[in-house]
Amino acid sequence: MSKKFTTLLSVGALALGASFAPTANAADTVKVGVLHSLSGTMAISETSLRDVLLFTFDEINAKGGVLGKKIEPVIVDGASNWPLFAEKAKQLLEQDKVAVTFGCWTSVSRKSVLPVYEKNNGLLFYPVQYEGEEESPNVAYTAEAVNQQATPAVDYLLKQGYKKFYLLGSDYVYPQTTNLVLLEYLLSKGVAIENIGGGFRKDGSGKIISAGKYTPFGHTDYQQIVAEIKQFAAGGGAAVISTLNGDTNVPFFKEYAASGLTAEVCPVVSFSISEDEFRGLPADKLVGQLGCWTYFQSINSPANKKFVADFKAWLKQTNVPGIVKENRVTCSPMVLSYVGVYLWKAAVEKAGSFDVDKVRAAWKSGVSFNGPGGLVKSQPNMHLTKNVFIGETKADGQFKILETFKNVYGEPWLKGKFKAAGATAKSE
Amino acid sequence: MNAVLVKPLSRIILFIVACGLAPLAPAATAQLSPAPRSTDPRQTIVNAILAGDGPAQRDLIATLAGHGDETIVTLLTAWRTDQLFIHSPDEATRIPVQLVGPKDDNDAQDALRIDTGKPLTDATGKPLKLIGSDLTAVDHNANLRRAMKAVLDLVEVAHPDPAKRRSAIQAIGFAQAADKIPALQARLKIETDPHVVLALREALALTRLVDPNDTVKLAALNELRELRTLSSYDLIHAAHKSAERAGNKTVAAAAHTTLLAIDQHRSFVDFFGTLFRSASLGSILLVVALGLAITFGLMGVINMAHGEMIAVGAYTTYLTQAVFGAGITIPAFGLSIGIPGMNLTGWGHDAYFIAAIPLSFLAAALVGIALERGIIQFLYRRPLESLLATWGVSLLLQQIFRLTFGANNVQVSSPSYLSGNWTVNDILFGWNRVFVIGFAILIVFGVWLVLTKTSLGLLIRAVMQNRQMASCMGVRTERVNMLTFGLGSGLAGLAGAFLSQIGNVGPSLGQSYIVDSFMTVVVGGVGNLLGTVISAFGIGGLDQILQQYLPVWAPGLAGFPLIGGFLQNLAQDSSVFGKILVLALIVLFLQWRPAGLFATRSRSLD
Repeated sequence: MSKKFTTLLSVGALALGASFAPTANAADTVKVGVLHSLSGTMAISETSLRDVLLFTFDEINAKGGVLGKKIEPVIVDGASNWPLFAEKAKQLLEQDKVAVTFGCWTSVSRKSVLPVYEKNNGLLFYPVQYEGEEESPNVAYTAEAVNQQATPAVDYLLKQGYKKFYLLGSDYVYPQTTNLVLLEYLLSKGVAIENIGGGFRKDGSGKIISAGKYTPFGHTDYQQIVAEIKQFAAGGGAAVISTLNGDTNVPFFKEYAASGLTAEVCPVVSFSISEDEFRGLPADKLVGQLGCWTYFQSINSPANKKFVADFKAWLKQTNVPGIVKENRVTCSPMVLSYVGVYLWKAAVEKAGSFDVDKVRAAWKSGVSFNGPGGLVKSQPNMHLTKNVFIGETKADGQFKILETFKNVYGEPWLKGKFKAAGATAKSE
Repeated sequence: MNAVLVKPLSRIILFIVACGLAPLAPAATAQLSPAPRSTDPRQTIVNAILAGDGPAQRDLIATLAGHGDETIVTLLTAWRTDQLFIHSPDEATRIPVQLVGPKDDNDAQDALRIDTGKPLTDATGKPLKLIGSDLTAVDHNANLRRAMKAVLDLVEVAHPDPAKRRSAIQAIGFAQAADKIPALQARLKIETDPHVVLALREALALTRLVDPNDTVKLAALNELRELRTLSSYDLIHAAHKSAERAGNKTVAAAAHTTLLAIDQHRSFVDFFGTLFRSASLGSILLVVALGLAITFGLMGVINMAHGEMIAVGAYTTYLTQAVFGAGITIPAFGLSIGIPGMNLTGWGHDAYFIAAIPLSFLAAALVGIALERGIIQFLYRRPLESLLATWGVSLLLQQIFRLTFGANNVQVSSPSYLSGNWTVNDILFGWNRVFVIGFAILIVFGVWLVLTKTSLGLLIRAVMQNRQMASCMGVRTERVNMLTFGLGSGLAGLAGAFLSQIGNVGPSLGQSYIVDSFMTVVVGGVGNLLGTVISAFGIGGLDQILQQYLPVWAPGLAGFPLIGGFLQNLAQDSSVFGKILVLALIVLFLQWRPAGLFATRSRSLD
């Protein structure tokens, strides 16, 4: 429970560790940057990614490293401060001269470091679901693109016979962009515009520039919105597509349950609640609601079981100062960080060099890794082809997998055009 | 797929009475077969299985119609999906069984007897495992499946739980499945629950909306106009459109008037819903601001730690819940403090909230008193420094929460008596909200009593009005200050207990309410409790009204020169824009009346 405290400790310790790390013989090691918020509001989520990255480095080093070189992590703290992210990125690239960086969670932190990576021709691996509309040669997006999360979820709901969709989100770039894409997608699937709830904003020419209902961060009063959803769902066949972020989910779901709406009457599919976030939410209010990710801890495969067991074993024996060892779960952003490291390793080995241009060329030519969520494969557009899962939340904070979309091609540019998501849909 | 053994005796009796002994009715007797009859659905199904293919079997299945027993659904579904088999250990015995559960290495599965629902046993009473492919499967054909479907349709609408019955009926209505009209009509004759009757009438009318016959359609629209259900809107809208497309003017006109009637009902619901939500938000503002109205309003301490007093109350509620439940271990400051739990369940556990209310008051009051004795007593003459000092305290407390309870939010579950709602005429009254309103009234009354009817209240008012004079008269002003601050903090703790029921409990809980609290007190007029009450309900109401009606008014805003489109778009985001607008209005209001609604002269403002 004392996560914050331990986080603080670890920040201090790591900061020390980073600056005083014994510079081992440069020939034996390769420096790799880790750029996450280890303090501030995002620390709750991002510290987990730091942990899983350190675990992955240890796992790779134990097997001989990359091209015979051990990975030497350089950990810096973005401190949930976006300009600071850019400074830290600059430090990693210009001072520490890291071969690659794994980092960032929020879109705004990614946008903030992007110019730094482009100027220095660095390489950043970005692991968290995002809104697309970006394709930099200096970023490897292991994250879910909109067509690897939002549109498969809609496909699933349409298949289940849902006809009406209420769009609800936190007021920032990811929900806004995702909902615009979803609006176009729903319309292309034959859903009438009056069956899409939440309201629209139009520009002077009448073109829709924003769809759905938005609430600010930290919003606490969801009475009116839930009453609106209740009316919207009165006619049956309705679902809520939620991109609400962080702890606004708590008052929303409490109000939702109190109004008598349930997953049977009107399910909510949330794109921002993974196993890690689930720990701070009222579980009894969320049972049966849906989630959509490219990984769930409940995936029943030998690769995943081994990953979860290895990670837990590593947590037990690790001496990273202040790391939280109890009640840990694995979630999609963590696994995408994990496979990101292995894909980078594969690309480096294919290129035979740590040089960013050569690694990028190897990435674009296609490298793959059989990870906990199944096979992932790099694409020429810097994204990943991977499996997409729809799951139902259970009271223990895990997801029951309801549907799997195999090998979905990551497509960042979705505004105004569609590639049908999910080459083959298979029920499990 | 486990067949649940339900003792359906009372239902059977009900069924017999309700259906008027359907199996014995003339229409049914015409097809009477020699097969044995039973009122136990399990036995009936066994009889039907043993009767073999033919009209007698279908007739037996048909007698199941009207039962609300889920066993029927389970067994008939199993039958249709080939999970029923006949186990015959010898020539004479034929026991129908259902194979359930996973297959083991020999392809064997657990077997449940259909007549009892219990595991099949051998002579020694040991459960038997059977292999499906070795047994005779109970077969079925299209005629039988049709008979089963008719029964299953009826089972849905005869579910013993009215809420389930209602949702099954609504689902039929939304699907507009004409083949289920007889089942609905049959149910309507015997249904007693008024909500279900309404749902049945609605479902029947909705199903008839797609009838090819115009008279039937018009009658259905009339019925729907009478019912005015929000749930029927979408389908009537669709019927309206298709009638317009088909050029059917009478139906289109009737559909239009029905839609208007429902719209009217909707605005009625919205209006009263908004009123209720206003009252509820107003109550929350009032509850959170009342403590501040005392510490800031009466005492003049710019108490930035007020939010953290709320959080103290919320965390106390969380701890109380843990003590009533499984206990808790707090890894605070490197020590692990274990608090054992009472492991109560049901009502015992639900009672935690009742206990949490006084406890959160006490906890926050004690923290408040400590704060007053430790810091604030030195700063009464220096309000700006009290701002800085209490702000520091607020940061300190937040960090203590983080160290003690973790940076993540903690989960406070709502007791069952606070987690339902009443729906009257489509207007939703959440129990937690009703409770907050009632509670707000109660504590305002309580505070008023304390301040006006007790000797402590008299002393408080005396000290707040003129400390020196009160001191000269022998009032122990130090002590009164301490108690007043404790009272204000305790009220904040009470607010925390409530907020735990509707929102997050985390280290930054207080931060989200501190601005609202100050806003409410300042608008109401510093030093005036009545002002705080009025301003809380005013701000709450304004916020809810703007949230509800801004999108409705949005088209009107388009007429503004230059910024019309911009305003219209802003208005769509009513929860964001509504808040901005409320703040803007408050700024304007304070320009006009800097001292708030009720200007009071108090010691701190001299």
